[in-house]
Amino acid sequence: MALPALTPQYVLGLAALLVLVVDAFTPTSRKNGLLAGLTALAGVTSAGAAAWLYAGGAGRTTLFDGALAVDASTSFFTAVFGCVAALVAVASYDYVREEPHQSAYYALVLLATAGMSVMAAANSLVTAFLALELVSLPAYALVAYLKRDAGSAEAGLKYFVVGALSSAILVYGISLVYAATGVFGFAALADAVAGNAHVTVLGAGVVMLIGGFAFKTASVPFHFWAPEAYEGAPAPVSAFLSSASKAAGFVLAFRVFLLAFPLAAFEALGIPWTLVFAVLAVVTMTLGNVAAATQTNVKRMLAYSSIGHAGYALIGLAALSGPTSSDVAVVGASFSHLFVYGFTNTGAFLVVALAERWGVGRTFEDYAGLARSAPVASAVLAVLLFSLAGLPVGGGFWTKYALFLGAVQSGLWWLAAVGVVNSALSLFYYSRLVKAVWVDAPDETGVARERPTGIYAAVVVAAVVTVALLVAPDVVFSWADAAARALVSA
Amino acid sequence: MVPLQYYLLFSAAMFCIGVFGVLARRNALVYLMSVELMLNAANVVFVASSAHYGTISGQVFSLFTMALAAAEVAVGVGIVLVAYRNFKDIDITNPTSMRW
Repeated sequence: MALPALTPQYVLGLAALLVLVVDAFTPTSRKNGLLAGLTALAGVTSAGAAAWLYAGGAGRTTLFDGALAVDASTSFFTAVFGCVAALVAVASYDYVREEPHQSAYYALVLLATAGMSVMAAANSLVTAFLALELVSLPAYALVAYLKRDAGSAEAGLKYFVVGALSSAILVYGISLVYAATGVFGFAALADAVAGNAHVTVLGAGVVMLIGGFAFKTASVPFHFWAPEAYEGAPAPVSAFLSSASKAAGFVLAFRVFLLAFPLAAFEALGIPWTLVFAVLAVVTMTLGNVAAATQTNVKRMLAYSSIGHAGYALIGLAALSGPTSSDVAVVGASFSHLFVYGFTNTGAFLVVALAERWGVGRTFEDYAGLARSAPVASAVLAVLLFSLAGLPVGGGFWTKYALFLGAVQSGLWWLAAVGVVNSALSLFYYSRLVKAVWVDAPDETGVARERPTGIYAAVVVAAVVTVALLVAPDVVFSWADAAARALVSA
Repeated sequence: MVPLQYYLLFSAAMFCIGVFGVLARRNALVYLMSVELMLNAANVVFVASSAHYGTISGQVFSLFTMALAAAEVAVGVGIVLVAYRNFKDIDITNPTSMRW
């Protein structure tokens, strides 16, 4: 059966409307379970549809006069977004149970996911920008969702303030690129930038575009909203933003820079953008990991580690060198890193959600001895954290290995070296948390913990997928490879 | 016809005024206005380049930007209200419970 190429996007958008319609018809009844179920179902369905489309092997389909293009990278990332949205929805079932405006919450999650999957299909700067805003606007509201909570309000304000600024910079960047070329479509841009006469305007525009993407991916220099937003936001929203929204920013950056701004043309113009990304990658991963190592607050540590992971994923853009095979390898490594990270990091933040629900404090000491009262969650946390660090307990091991290998093969051995040093540093602070949970003695013994089914299910699924990707990585890696090939040799 | 460079200079000046407002103003609403100024600086470039190249796509993008600006203000003012209820102030430098 031939599905329409945009089936996953339709499913997510319609599900968002359906959630609102359900609420409009039954405004007073309790329906948290129904709404969470609808959201999770829509996420899984869109991921399944994306996998179906990939398996169908349709190649590249351009739609709406070239404004959107669906290829293997679209389906790959749509699967990530759908899965993360489903995990977040299942966990939110427990997290927002006592909160008002649940339908708005779930509808915003679905709208943001729909925006992400459109970002993964963008083929023109217009659709890229609109999809990016379709992710940003719901995300601002989601961060400030706990509106009586000062932390959530502060996080929402800071996220919005930085987000509004960066989207203005992004639009100005797009306008400068347009002023230099006169086109928006990626394919037309690729032709128009070759030998372009307005190098200054074009270069300024590209730098501003990089700024806009840095915000979305929480990379230096627009990373400083991330710790505040992730710390203050409801934990499932932090999970959603730090994995799905970051991956969406990356897929858009990859699409724009691989499809619209070919490296060869830009090197001829004297704007080698890989160098910019190499510097950003080094600064981002170092800053993220060093700052994470100094934190005492668990959620904030995860937030900074998420900045560090943006630095690793940036290697995919920094280590492009020209030959198709090595470019495919390094971009594919970056894609599969984002895939694994989507599950691992979502799981780690959801364990924090679990701790928040139990009323465990926020610091490392508060987590001391959690393993005695909640062994399953603590074991899951240990697996997830060690996979984030790159130890061979989860898929994160393969993807980091592939990323660093890709950097070395492109001659950027110093980038790989910085990456390895950073991974070692990250092992330090991840194991601090694991030690607190498993080794340190708790303040009070024998606390009976409630077992919120939704969050437990979500974290266990995240951990199982993470470990499964260590054992059988080829399923995902071959898909990531096809996704990378679709962009590199388009 | 005025050459495109003059429009670019004009819009760059607008953009810089916006950036100055963003950096210097502490009132959340004035901050939002400064961001609007930056968005409108982009609109000037879109419309001017659209006329320069004789294509209509830039003008269409400027319409999208305006719609986006309206949506952004709707969400933004909502968040400013929430912040006001919690902090009794709309000074964006005030909420500082979280610092690294």
